Amino acid sequence: MAKFQWLQQKDELGPLSQLWHSFRQQHAAVLGLILFGFFALIAVFGPLITPYDPYLQNPNAVLLPPSWDDAGDVRYLLGTDDLGRDQFSRLVKGASYTFGIAFITALGALLLGFMLGVLAGMSKGFRASAFNHVLDLALTIPSLLLAIIIVAILGPGLVNTIWAIMLALLPQFVHGIRNSILQQLEQDYVIAYRLDGANNWQILRYVILPNTWEQLTVLFSMALSTAILDIAALGFLGLGAQSPAAEWGLMVAEALDLIYLSPWSIALPGLLIFVAVLSVNLVSDGLRTAMRKRQES
Amino acid sequence: MIWHYLIRRLFLLSFVFFALTCFAFSLGHLFPGDPLVNFSGISQPDDELLPVLVQQYRLEQGYLQQYLAFLQRILQGDWGLSLASQQPVLHEIIRVFPATLELVSYALFISFVLGVPLGLIAAIKANHWTGRAISSIALLGYSLPIFWWALLMIMLFSIGLGWLPTSGRISVLYEIPVTTGFMLPDILMSGQTYWQAALQDAIRHLWLPAFVLATYPTTVMIRFTRDAMLSVWQQSYIKTARAKGLSRSQVLYRHGLRNAILPVLRQLGLQFSTLVTLAMITELIFSWPGIGLWLLDSINQRNYPAIQGGLLVISSLVILVNILLDILYTLLNPLARKQLHG
Repeated sequence: MAKFQWLQQKDELGPLSQLWHSFRQQHAAVLGLILFGFFALIAVFGPLITPYDPYLQNPNAVLLPPSWDDAGDVRYLLGTDDLGRDQFSRLVKGASYTFGIAFITALGALLLGFMLGVLAGMSKGFRASAFNHVLDLALTIPSLLLAIIIVAILGPGLVNTIWAIMLALLPQFVHGIRNSILQQLEQDYVIAYRLDGANNWQILRYVILPNTWEQLTVLFSMALSTAILDIAALGFLGLGAQSPAAEWGLMVAEALDLIYLSPWSIALPGLLIFVAVLSVNLVSDGLRTAMRKRQES
Repeated sequence: MIWHYLIRRLFLLSFVFFALTCFAFSLGHLFPGDPLVNFSGISQPDDELLPVLVQQYRLEQGYLQQYLAFLQRILQGDWGLSLASQQPVLHEIIRVFPATLELVSYALFISFVLGVPLGLIAAIKANHWTGRAISSIALLGYSLPIFWWALLMIMLFSIGLGWLPTSGRISVLYEIPVTTGFMLPDILMSGQTYWQAALQDAIRHLWLPAFVLATYPTTVMIRFTRDAMLSVWQQSYIKTARAKGLSRSQVLYRHGLRNAILPVLRQLGLQFSTLVTLAMITELIFSWPGIGLWLLDSINQRNYPAIQGGLLVISSLVILVNILLDILYTLLNPLARKQLHG
């Protein structure tokens, strides 16, 4: 039974405002969104706030601990690495490598996956069945393993990593988009629209797309967290970004030999990867909950 | 009807294996260098061997003939030589594979034992602080980059506290003859006088990697069990069972858990490939002599026959586990069986 509401009627809001309304009520999700925005800002405007060139080596300040340590130097806020490069500048630069490139990669995979997913969802019969089988195969090969194989063919390097991760993310996008399109095609309003004489393109444009963009956002956020983890992992394995790039995973790998001398140089980049992935996951969880609530109301 | 379903699964399996071998075969041509070397692993075949190999690998014929020859070799167990060690690739895989299986199965065991009960608690007490705490911890664990987590654990337990060793499966002091390739059964069967000490040592080596690797599947298990339980809990048969007068725990086990655990089982299959990837990284960090470490070494050494073989074995494992879990799910779940009939 509908309750009498004195002030604002929630039902009068558009779908987007409804979504935002229930998203805002989850504090963890809002915190995630703030962190996400923070990382995005740093990835774009990072070079403006770095005190040093991230690749500038200072032989007089090697392996300084963070400035709050007794042996630290206030000029190097988070200390320096074994070549005397400023950790803070490198970590800020790393945001555009790990976070920014992961964003671009996931976006590319989304666009490609959307096209393929629409093709798969709208086709029928043998073509759809063959497509499903190929998709099943691609989904079973671990994404990182696929990326590793592609890198082994193309050779290590950041650009090759982007391609590899994009390809590795593709199956889950195609799968998710195809499923949500199939789900939409079963709805009564699609049949009604078809009876009105709409063709496939019109159904896709005016019925299916507006109903699947929420799903797309969730898929994208899930892929983004995978992309960050994969780029960092490939960097760590020495297959992704190459030295001296300030990629977070690579920075952890380079600090491995110094695990006794400077544990902070392992702890800090890893912490940033962790927080970046966490922020994306928080937003993704919040979105999913908000979507569920909106559909129930 | 169930046979119909099984035959369709079998068809899918054979198709996937066909596509997989095609992919592995094309790698021989895609990798840099001479396809002959990439397939055979003989880096500099002499003049006598060269025509024999070209003949055997049918390299002068079309791709289809080459693929058939490749398939024949794979089935016969001739997977080429490793470029690094000049040993047969298949023998090396058989040597390292059990270590990975052992690690992955212990991690899965831990995740089941911890994840399912924790997920249940999180679902039942969803609005209580315990439920919230479990869900938050699960989200934190879900976001951890495994290599960093492993290094933190090493810094804490090995370097800081000095409790656990950092690498390998067992101390070099103990010599355990390899029978199954699995460390713990091997120690029990070895009949050495020091088997108790060796067992303790092996378990000390196992703790850290198994725990680190178990983190991700445990959090996944908690999340899936919680979500599945929450959706089951809203079904009307739960209300009916409560209305019949069953106690809370009776409803939970007879009606709730049985229905909630099935989707979890299915999700587990989808997560298995991620688990294998994580196992590779874990092996690298803990120098665990499994197939992941072997494959990563092979990639660094540009050891193409080994990469090919490793890809085949790991993907086949993932596919087999997926399809087996899918079949198990259908056999156990009357609703899924009913869909087959419909």
